[in-house]
Formats: sequence, C-alpha cells, structure tokens
Amino acid sequence: MIPDTLTAAPEFSLPSVAGGSVRLADLHAGGPALLLFVSEECPTCVLTLRRLAPIVSQLDSAGVRVAALFEDPLEVAARVARRTGFDGSVLSEPSPYEVSGAYGLQSLPTAVLVDRDGRQAGRVVGWDSEGLEALLSVPVTHEAPTRKPGCAAKNTYDAESLRALDGAGAFDELEDMFELGWTDGLPVIPPTRSRVEAMLGGRDPDAFLGEMPPAMARVTLERVAACAVLAGCRPEYFPVVLAAVQAVLEPAFNVGGQAVTTQPVGQVVVVNGPVRETIGLNGGVGALGPGWRPNMTIGRALRLVISLTGGGFPGRLDRSALGQPGKVGLCFAEDEEVSPWEPLHVTRGFPADRSVVTVFGADAPLSISDHRSMGPDELARVLGEAAAATWSPTWWPLGGTSLFVICPEHARSFAEWGWNKQQVREAIFEAARRPAGSLRWGETTPLVLAAPDDQVIGKWSSPDDIVLVVAGGEAGRFSAVFGPCLGMNAEVISKEVPWTT
Amino acid sequence: MDYVSPFDERRRVAEPLAPRPASLEGKCVALLDITKRRGDEFLDRIEERLRSRGAVTFRVVKEIFSKPASPEIVRQIADRGDLAVEGLAD
Repeated sequence: MIPDTLTAAPEFSLPSVAGGSVRLADLHAGGPALLLFVSEECPTCVLTLRRLAPIVSQLDSAGVRVAALFEDPLEVAARVARRTGFDGSVLSEPSPYEVSGAYGLQSLPTAVLVDRDGRQAGRVVGWDSEGLEALLSVPVTHEAPTRKPGCAAKNTYDAESLRALDGAGAFDELEDMFELGWTDGLPVIPPTRSRVEAMLGGRDPDAFLGEMPPAMARVTLERVAACAVLAGCRPEYFPVVLAAVQAVLEPAFNVGGQAVTTQPVGQVVVVNGPVRETIGLNGGVGALGPGWRPNMTIGRALRLVISLTGGGFPGRLDRSALGQPGKVGLCFAEDEEVSPWEPLHVTRGFPADRSVVTVFGADAPLSISDHRSMGPDELARVLGEAAAATWSPTWWPLGGTSLFVICPEHARSFAEWGWNKQQVREAIFEAARRPAGSLRWGETTPLVLAAPDDQVIGKWSSPDDIVLVVAGGEAGRFSAVFGPCLGMNAEVISKEVPWTT
Repeated sequence: MDYVSPFDERRRVAEPLAPRPASLEGKCVALLDITKRRGDEFLDRIEERLRSRGAVTFRVVKEIFSKPASPEIVRQIADRGDLAVEGLAD
C-alpha cells in the first residue's frame, strides 16, 4: 500500500459491459471509488475478483463504487465477471492501455482508491489481505494465500507482445460459445449480429417458420440464421438450410419423435438442382464424408436448429442410446450429371431446373462393397441382402423408407445392363423377401409372429419404400444404404430452395 | 459482444401439479395406451389394481406413440377422467 499518493486520479471514459461508457467522474460522483485494474490472463486478478465479489455490495452501501477495469476485450471482461460473481461496474480498456499507463501501473491486479474529490487515496498491488482491509476499511478474507503477486500490466508490454495477445482474444470468443452451450461439441462461429445479418441478407429476421419440438420453440428466420452462422455456413448456403428446416417442420416428418427417440436417427439432407453447383455442394468423391464446407455446415446447421433451438440436445431431451456420426449433420448432393437415371427431385415431382432439398429421418449409413457381380440381378441382390440387416436382421417389414446411395460405377453397370431405376428398386425389393418361419428369432414384428411359416414377408412393404440416388467417386464400387427411423410414420419430405444467390 | 441467440428465450412457467386425491374410491381413471409394445399389458395390471381400490377406469389409445396425443384424446381424458395413468415406453 502506498499511502501518500494524493495526486489527482487521471480521468477516463471506458466502455462498460452494461452498455455505453463510464467515466471516472461518474464513479466518484457520490463518494469514493475503488478501481480494480485486472486481466483475465492473470490468476491473481481472478482470485482478487472472486475474493472481493462478496463485499462489493457492502462497499456499495458504504458509498464506495467498485469498478473492474479489464485490460481485455469487453466480452472477455463480461465472462470473467460472470465466472467470479463480480457485480460491480465492469469496464474494458483497449490496447495499448493508455489508462493503465496514466495510472503508472506496473503490475496487475492493482487496486486504486479514489476519494470523492478525485484524488488517489491509496493503492494495493497484487493480492494483499491486510493491505486491502486497511485500504477499504471493511473485513477481507484472510484465507491462504494472504499475499500473492500478480502479472505485468499490459501497458508495460512491447508492441510485438501486444499483437500476439490480440490474436489470443479471438480464441476466447470461441470459448464463450462453449460456456453458453451454443455448440454441438465442436467449435462454432460466434453468431455476432453482423454475421447473422449477412446470413439474412436483408430478409425479415422475425419471419416465423413454425414451432420446433421438443421444446416447441418458435423458429424464426433469425434463429435459423444464428444456427447457420454457428455451423460455419456461408450466406449463399442459407436458402438450402432454410429449405431443410422447412422440410423437417412439416408435421409428416415427425421431427419431434426423431429428436427425442432412443433410436440412432439423424436427418439426411439430399440436394438436387442448380444450387449444388452455385454453392459447391459435393456429390462426388467422398460425398458422405468430410472435406467440403457446404456439405459439412448445411447438415450441421439443420442439426443445430433441432438440438439447440428445438431443445433436442443429446443426453437431455434427445435420448438416443448410442447416437451416430450422422447426428452431427449429413448433407450431400445427388450427382445428377453422372447418374444414368432421373434425379430424385424430378421423381418427386419438381421440374429439373429447380433446386430442391429432400430430408430423410435415417440411421447411420451401411457401406455395401461389390466389385464382382456380373449382372443386374446379382448386384441388386447384394444391395438388398445388405439392407436386410438394417434396423435388425429379423425386423420385417421395416415400415419406413430406406435411402440407397448408388455409387457411379454401380449405377453405370445397371445402366449398361439396360436397367432403369424402377427395375433396380423392384429387384432390391425382391432380393429381401423371406418366409416368416425363418424370421422368428430375436426381436421380430407382429406380422412375422402371426404369419404362417411359409408366408413370404419383404424387408419393405413395397418397392416405393426404396429410394435411390447416385453419388460418390468415379472409382470404387461402394454404395451405401441408410436404414429408416421406425415408429414415427416419418415421411420423406422435399422442399424447393427458396432463392439462390 | 452482441451475439444473436439461436434459442427461443421465452421463459416457461411449470404448470403446478393437480391436487392429489385422498382416495381412489369412486374416481374415474383414464388409462392412456400410447401403443408402445406391451403397454397394454402394463395397463391391464394397473387397471386391476385400480379397480380393487374402488376406481372405475376407461381406456384411451394414441394413434402412434411418437407423436403428441391429439386434442380429441386430451379432451376425452379431461372430460371423463378424474385421474390419468399413461403407460410410457417399452
């Protein structure tokens, strides 16, 4: 403590977490003010704030206004204040820390008592229980450590060190998102107002899209935009995200059931039409995996709308026993240019030149390798037999729609053998039919239990429950099937992308 | 920093529980079968126990377990029942 420092306290005006700016004159207008110069990076500062937090209101009622002057950005100051329970004024001093310089700071924390006349009545450097008690005239905790030195004040740093610190601030912003719970567990892009506005592109933020179960949260354009920013979308992806959200909000999709079930259901988004090229959505090599920003972020944005906005968060209202990687988000394009067949959106009644998303409530994909089949029946049988094991090997019929992603080499073979899409669907359907007697083990369906032994039962109720799209790399005979979610009456839903940029 | 929340920030107020009856004698109990497998067997047993304690019962059945009960079902329960028991999950 330095008792003979009755020099004038330098005036300042600094931004406050509460909004606006606070001047020194505001703080000591009605009595003394205690200025705590601190930084998030200094453990002694955090300790000081935590230890003084319980006496801030006591000081306030004794007429002493307490302000923490952070040598950190405003959002960092807010976070540290929240974590330490400090509820005095919280101010942020920008680089290069001229106020700290004006007060002649050497290290943090430094507590400066300013009297009602605006003079420095005393100061304590570091944590010092006795010194602070003498300075403040109120009891201060004497738990160990009773004295603890702090760190160098940032006004003493050289320019190069300051630049390095400014970079560190961006990381704190990402940590804010984890602290707020605005994440699926991966880092997110903080949805600042300017980023959300860029996503909205001038559209009405309050436009209402529907209520998202299970929380029955009001889904507005702005909240979808916030999720799109969090997920890492570029603004040109936003109409695709929006169409996917509109699709899952259709009651026939039963997103509420999908969001809370113990099943491992995710929402697969298939995109057709010109928007694929506009935004660079991948339908080629690696289409179902990582590597392409639109694929990764559009599916993730949809999942964030369901799990954050809608409240279907894993382990809380989402009770999926195992979960699956597709619940992070799964979006891909159909490779219409490589496909020998009609694209999915055309089959579903849209003109070929429209951009359309189609959503499926789906299990994780099962890869199906076949490099040897010599004819269409054989290849279709491989696909059908593989899909026969989805959900459970004995659950027949599924009672839902399976999505087959046919790789280009398999699609080309079918085409060369002269088979159209419908023939492939029918052959897959035929390949997965069994006598009921062979299915009565494990868990099976009421239909199988009730049927005579020789009654043939299909994995699907009809070939209409089989959807084919073409995607994947030009080499490698690996197709895949997504089994359905069950017990949901969940229909496949398509929505036109409302605009393209 | 001014972030835009992805959440619906409306505060929800929990509905208070209805008063618990002192006795089941003469009470009308709705038994809601959500159509999960074997839920009906569970409700059969509950029904036996309720009847032995003087309650009368009636069944209502949801169309599908994974969707909310229709307003019609909720109305039936509210109109006829003093109490309700729902057989959840399997």
